[in-house]
Amino acid sequence: MSALLKDVNEQDEFELSADAGDQPAFELEALQPESDHEAQPLQAELYLPEDNAENPELPPQFEFEGMARPVFSVALDDGRAVRFQHAHSLLESLEAQDVDVHYQCREGYCGSCRAQLLEGDVHYNTEPMAWLNDGEILPCCCIPKSHIKIKL
Amino acid sequence: MSYTTFNRNEFDTFKQPMFFGEPVNVARYDIQKHKIFENLIEKQLSFFWRPEEVDLANDRKDFIDLPEHEKHIFVSNLKYQTLLDSVQGRSPNVALLPVVSLPELETWIETWSFSETIHSRSYTHIVRNIVPNPAEIFDDITRNEYIVRRAISVTKYYDDFIELSNYYLQLGEGVHTVNGQTIDVNMRELKRRLYLTMVSVNVLEAIRFYVSFACSFAFAERAKMEGNAKIIKLIARDEALHLTGTQHMLQIMAKGSDDPEFADVAASCRDDVVAIFAEAAQQEKEWAEYLFKDGSMIGLNKDILSQYVEYITNQRISALGFDPIFESRSNPLPWINSWLNSDNVQVAPQEAEISSYLVGAIDSEVDTADLGDFDL
Ligand SMILES: [Fe+2]
Ligand SMILES: [Fe+2]
Repeated sequence: MSALLKDVNEQDEFELSADAGDQPAFELEALQPESDHEAQPLQAELYLPEDNAENPELPPQFEFEGMARPVFSVALDDGRAVRFQHAHSLLESLEAQDVDVHYQCREGYCGSCRAQLLEGDVHYNTEPMAWLNDGEILPCCCIPKSHIKIKL
Repeated sequence: MSYTTFNRNEFDTFKQPMFFGEPVNVARYDIQKHKIFENLIEKQLSFFWRPEEVDLANDRKDFIDLPEHEKHIFVSNLKYQTLLDSVQGRSPNVALLPVVSLPELETWIETWSFSETIHSRSYTHIVRNIVPNPAEIFDDITRNEYIVRRAISVTKYYDDFIELSNYYLQLGEGVHTVNGQTIDVNMRELKRRLYLTMVSVNVLEAIRFYVSFACSFAFAERAKMEGNAKIIKLIARDEALHLTGTQHMLQIMAKGSDDPEFADVAASCRDDVVAIFAEAAQQEKEWAEYLFKDGSMIGLNKDILSQYVEYITNQRISALGFDPIFESRSNPLPWINSWLNSDNVQVAPQEAEISSYLVGAIDSEVDTADLGDFDL
């Protein structure tokens, strides 16, 4: 019985300290900027990944020796060639290497980034909702499983 | 087959085709024949927003300061958007609900149309903010010859289908005489008109709307009419879902997976599909000419918008498994992508009735007497 109680207490302590992490404070002011809105277009507030998806500044948290992430080559039908290693999606990887891809939702429901997979295989992080014809992939929600060749 | 609001026939719900099978009876979503429509419903519900959550106070000032030719661009574009959503807020319901046969698709159609009514309500919110008398803008939508021309082309496929489907629902298949007129109601023609209607809906939502989005965002790109752009971002997020839904319906029809006759109909309509896309692209280019008749704006003119029309037309027709109809080119408006993306849309919390505010209000009413002899 006492062992059980002890366990429960420890659990509580653990949760408390976890909660005390960096919960962002509720910032009402930040949501309502003063209206000298002439200065910058809204575009400046847009969320876009700040760092380069293929050259992350911080090394991945769990990197075991001899187990570096595999690098896959990504060839484009127009002759350009890039690589995929660190990015969360093929779309992010392409953008980080200055390949322009049309996009809207970036999460699989709009189909804007639709591309043709000419060689190789991809893995979907989330199941895409957009319609895909045979041989088409959605770069916003997949990553390569092998060296691939695509046509945008 | 006459329509009934609760079909009492015994049939296997999940063996029905999307359209022209048994009218739906039980609205059940435990199993779906086409899970995609259930996913679309869920997604659309998660997108719910209200126009009043977007503050437009700065837009009023911006609008007053716009030069005349830019006011013309802004207002004409807004009238066009109002027209398109007026059509979409009712037509999927009126045209498709009487002939739909799957519960998840029926509910997708209703959810889809409902979201269009939010778009329409947001135009009233915008118009109220920029002009003292909203009627000057709304009344012109049925009077202005350029707008009326657009109205005819966006509604004719719907109207042709609804006309024949009404006869079908009342009289069934066969050759009928109505008021001395001979009406031939046959399933093949009904399916042909339905397929072409869906193509024209896809053109409306995936091309015509995107051309209008480009104009809305071109203002915001110069830090003008930014409240309007926030609303358009929310509308664009919904439209991206709608066009995906329609692409699925069109491709399920074309594959004939749940109704082989539809595959045949779709195959025989390929030239019509190309013609509908090409005609719409041409009309959008003519519209661009009208928009910019008194002058261009920084970042957008008739030629660039026409190039975008060709670009987006190619994108949308190839999604349906057709060859592009214009010479392939890259996106002439690369900045539009991040505007179309809605990750960053924020609305003011104090204007929305967020429950945490209400909870605060209740908490503050605690009487200290209730605390009794609590030692504070
Ligand atoms: Fe809409
Ligand atoms: Fe729509």
